[in-house]
Amino acid sequence: MIEVIKPGLETTVQDWPGRHGFWNKGFPVSGPMDSWSMRMANVLVGNQPGDAALEAQFLGPTLKFQIDTVIAVCGGNMRPKLDGDPLELWHSHQVLAGQVLELTAAISGARAYIAIAGGIDNEIILGSRATFAKAGVGGIDGGALKVGQVLSVFPAKGTPGMIVPESARPKLSKTRTWKIEVCAGPNDDWIDKPGQVRFFSADWILSAKSDRTGFRLDGPEWSFTPRATNKPPEHGALPSNVIDHGYPMGAINLAGQTPIILMNDGPSMGGFINPYTVPTGSFWKLGQARPGEILNFQEISVQGSQKIAANLKKMCSQGTLLKTS
Amino acid sequence: MIYKIPKFSPGGDRYILAVFGDEMNLELNFMAQGMASALRNSKIKGVIESAPCFASLLVHYEPEEIGYDDLIREMVVIFGSLGPSDNLELRSRLFSIPVMYLDPWSAECVEDYKAKIADKLTDPELIVRENGLKDVSHLVRLHSSSEYWVASLGFWPGLPFLMPLDPRARLTAPKYNPPRTNTPQGAIGLGGGATSIYPVATPGGYQIFGRTPIPIWDATQKIPAFQGDLCLFRPGDRIKFIPVTREEFDHAEAEVKAGTYETNIVEYQNFIVSDYNAWNHKLKVGAV
Repeated sequence: MIEVIKPGLETTVQDWPGRHGFWNKGFPVSGPMDSWSMRMANVLVGNQPGDAALEAQFLGPTLKFQIDTVIAVCGGNMRPKLDGDPLELWHSHQVLAGQVLELTAAISGARAYIAIAGGIDNEIILGSRATFAKAGVGGIDGGALKVGQVLSVFPAKGTPGMIVPESARPKLSKTRTWKIEVCAGPNDDWIDKPGQVRFFSADWILSAKSDRTGFRLDGPEWSFTPRATNKPPEHGALPSNVIDHGYPMGAINLAGQTPIILMNDGPSMGGFINPYTVPTGSFWKLGQARPGEILNFQEISVQGSQKIAANLKKMCSQGTLLKTS
Repeated sequence: MIYKIPKFSPGGDRYILAVFGDEMNLELNFMAQGMASALRNSKIKGVIESAPCFASLLVHYEPEEIGYDDLIREMVVIFGSLGPSDNLELRSRLFSIPVMYLDPWSAECVEDYKAKIADKLTDPELIVRENGLKDVSHLVRLHSSSEYWVASLGFWPGLPFLMPLDPRARLTAPKYNPPRTNTPQGAIGLGGGATSIYPVATPGGYQIFGRTPIPIWDATQKIPAFQGDLCLFRPGDRIKFIPVTREEFDHAEAEVKAGTYETNIVEYQNFIVSDYNAWNHKLKVGAV
């Protein structure tokens, strides 16, 4: 059992790959935005990569352990401390009943993941333990952690003394600029050539009006092909309007002139076009980008993006870890 | 226009969008829904789920189990085996949904958007202008005159995508630019040719001009009208919007809060596609 002393800004239970099978009723996938870091935190403590763990955003929680267990913190650096002593990221650590883990504001990245040996034992809703806080689905009482809540974990011995080698950690940007891979489609044919060139050459600024449902981007105007302007009226009159259709997770959704990347808790359908899609293997970069930072997009083939995701999956396993000497 | 072969395009590493045509009609929706169930029944390895909408189907797949091109090949075969929709006869529930049209909450939300984000015509006035209607009362009469077909659920848990079954009630509207960051729970909106009901307060892009007090999704699964489902509606249901006064709205809202509100659902009707098509044809001929 783990007691929530301070909840942090918006700390939620997530599992990976999240809630599949309910897209046709409007339930998003949810799950960790930086699944690389969360999967690594899990394998460090001896869990399955997708077990339920905590995602802390910008300002981490303070937790008191009522059991002896093994933990790992990965992802953005929220300067974790165990009973006041700095706790190294990307390592698994033995903790004893009574000890307090404290995370503070992120000094690099945006999201940190706390895995506990055994994984969090919260209720499974629609096949997943992940939290969709905006709709009150899953997690602990449907939302982010609150003061005084107690988290249950499955009993497990855990694997203390393990390390993720440098080469297997995500490289967080030190320049406030991120190169993000995108696949063209589904609706790239609605954007004209100059519009496509602008999309790939522009510095897109991640807006503060961003959350787990969507990342709003500030940047240049879009321009369109005749496909977008010459169409039956039931699409809606504006160029970005389309007869409502399913949205891929990661779609760069063009709502009017404002692009919004549809994130883990994003809508499953709607009536705007999606010219490009961020593939899942590149989501960790979005999860660690901070408002005000710059996103540059570069095109990748569907097969190339599938390879990235497959390599990531292979890497997020016990075999990658080293033992502390 | 209905395409001979669906148009396929990728959505990143795990999604395919199949589009069946470039308009909104019942036949296209039957294709999308039919394709979704045929794909589910085919049990193709690697297909995780699919989400049909008016004229398209989004498929979520596991690329480690099936490749993009292979899945498209499988879908083309399934598409070729779909039967025609005009001999379908299906169970279709009819829901009466009370709506206070031109309600103060939607109006306030629009005023707030105009003040803080972008000036625009109020939503009902914009729909009146776009569709050459006389005034906002004309909009209310026309919008509440038709039964609406639940083409799909999506966007947010329980949100129905609706199209009017009576072609005379077809209305269109541009979507917000940029979208609202908030919408009153229960707001009725029009975007393109589609009508919807916002299940909870969410961002939104449809023009809003009415509000219902009744819940259309229930995380607790305790409301009897939901019959054990999380969402009130299912694809293939029909909805009739019943205009109500503020007094009736408040009364219904109080009943919802007290747990005594009974949703009006007619469950003894079938929807016969050939009869619907014949009626539609008659209306078209009459209009000439």
